[in-house]
Amino acid sequence: MPALLTVDKLRSGYGPIDVLHDISMTVDAGEIVAMIGANGAGKTTTLMTIAGIVKARAGTITFDGQNLSGAPAHKIVRLGMGQSPEGRKIFPRLTVLENLEMGAFTRTDKPGIADDLEKMFAMFPILRERKGQAGGLLSGGQQQMLAIARALMSRPKLLLLDEPSLGLAPQIVVQIFDVIRDLNKSGMSVLLVEQNARMALRIAHRAYVLETGRVTFTDQASVVLNDPRIRAAYLGE
Amino acid sequence: MLLAVEPALWNSLTQYLINGLTFGALIALIALGYTMVYGIVELINFAHGDLFMLGSFASLSLLALLGFGGLGFTATMTDASSFVIAGVLIGCAILSVLFCAGLNFAVEYTVYRPLRNAPKLAPLVSAIGVSFIFMNAGLFWGGPQDVNFPDLISNDNLLGKDAAIRITYKDVLIIAVTVPLMLALTIFVKVTRLGKAMRATAQNPTAASLMGIDTNFVISATFVIGGALAGAASLIYAVSMNTISYQMGFQNGLYAFTAAVLGGIGRIPGAVLGGLIIGLVRSFGSAFVGEMWVNALVFGILIIILIFRPTGLLGTPVREKV
Repeated sequence: MPALLTVDKLRSGYGPIDVLHDISMTVDAGEIVAMIGANGAGKTTTLMTIAGIVKARAGTITFDGQNLSGAPAHKIVRLGMGQSPEGRKIFPRLTVLENLEMGAFTRTDKPGIADDLEKMFAMFPILRERKGQAGGLLSGGQQQMLAIARALMSRPKLLLLDEPSLGLAPQIVVQIFDVIRDLNKSGMSVLLVEQNARMALRIAHRAYVLETGRVTFTDQASVVLNDPRIRAAYLGE
Repeated sequence: MLLAVEPALWNSLTQYLINGLTFGALIALIALGYTMVYGIVELINFAHGDLFMLGSFASLSLLALLGFGGLGFTATMTDASSFVIAGVLIGCAILSVLFCAGLNFAVEYTVYRPLRNAPKLAPLVSAIGVSFIFMNAGLFWGGPQDVNFPDLISNDNLLGKDAAIRITYKDVLIIAVTVPLMLALTIFVKVTRLGKAMRATAQNPTAASLMGIDTNFVISATFVIGGALAGAASLIYAVSMNTISYQMGFQNGLYAFTAAVLGGIGRIPGAVLGGLIIGLVRSFGSAFVGEMWVNALVFGILIIILIFRPTGLLGTPVREKV
């Protein structure tokens, strides 16, 4: 069976600078794949290029059997890719409920949307309590939950998560990683970008290590977690 | 003591209020175009006032074509029946709205869109350039002097010939056009799918793309709506003032831009509030301070308000937590 997402020799960047050099990776259906690496390694650029926000300069991205070359971001969403982006990018003056509704922008099945809203509120009860409040007034952890729930509202086949643990209290991080694990158990494929390598490698099936825009190491997550070089470089040992 | 004020003064005050509100509503309609565009692409579209000016020349040309005079035409329309005039006005409204909406769309598509990812100064300077191009087009179209616009609507006082307070059909027209348009826009932005997409794009374009929103389409739609409002404003301005010129876009555009900033740029209710304040300041200012000080007064008040509320009266942005 072909992979859900196949990235082949991807090159992209900003202005005159290439950030990614020949990145290749795959995500199979039902997998959690972690991408770890230092600040500036190109993790966010990889997600943004896959999502069509940043234009690929070379290489191919194939998602669910379709070549994404040149496709604009808003069309890629419709193919079944949802993203909780770096910095969460909540709509600050829309309410929590409106933020979630924006997540379902590509959908027209009203009963299905209402169902999924209930699911999100069950998953993150705090969002139900705050549903009338402006998104910008939520705490960082609540915004992260909102960003994930908003991405899920499009019913994606593949969920891209960019640093879901950044800046959050440890118990919130645990809560969010539990949710990611549960989502995956119910069949969601996840591409997870994290600086918190230990947490990411614990829930992931496979992992890619990025250094200055190149994949320098890839294996089963448990192997990566126990590799002495990775432990020294990313796990602070 | 206000209660001790004599009736004549009350009448004058009421009159200034009416004049201020009608002019303010007109300015507000133009200000909406500035504020919506700024809200979504953070561009001060300096050409917006001149777009408004070109809209009234488009109406004037249609009138000339229909035999209602044209450049140099001065007579009052007294011989045409009110049905004919209503039909002509509707024709002018359709033309000026489509003309301004189409022109604004074209400028966004050809001038601002290629500069979408350029430094902010580049589209700003381009907007000033477009403003001058429009103004020159207006100069070519109407000539350097003030041009009479056919007086299609009666100047009779609705309250009777000898009433102390004067409300004309023109005042009624301005309110009857501006208020429903502003309400419709507010509701549109609040409840429709496109309106929600506009708000989302204004607040975070990248996130909006990630929601499946075609942000280029949303930006085009914003320019089209802002242009359409300027077109509507251009016709009621010309019909009620009866004088247009290639320079009217600069002066009124500046008022409208100021109104948008005063109310909190990017905020639709802010533009309306700002427009009304400017209209009232102008009206009461020219009565009590003097015509020649009106602009100093308007901009003086702008500066004072901005010192105390730098984001404008209704501009209290919720800061995004990072």
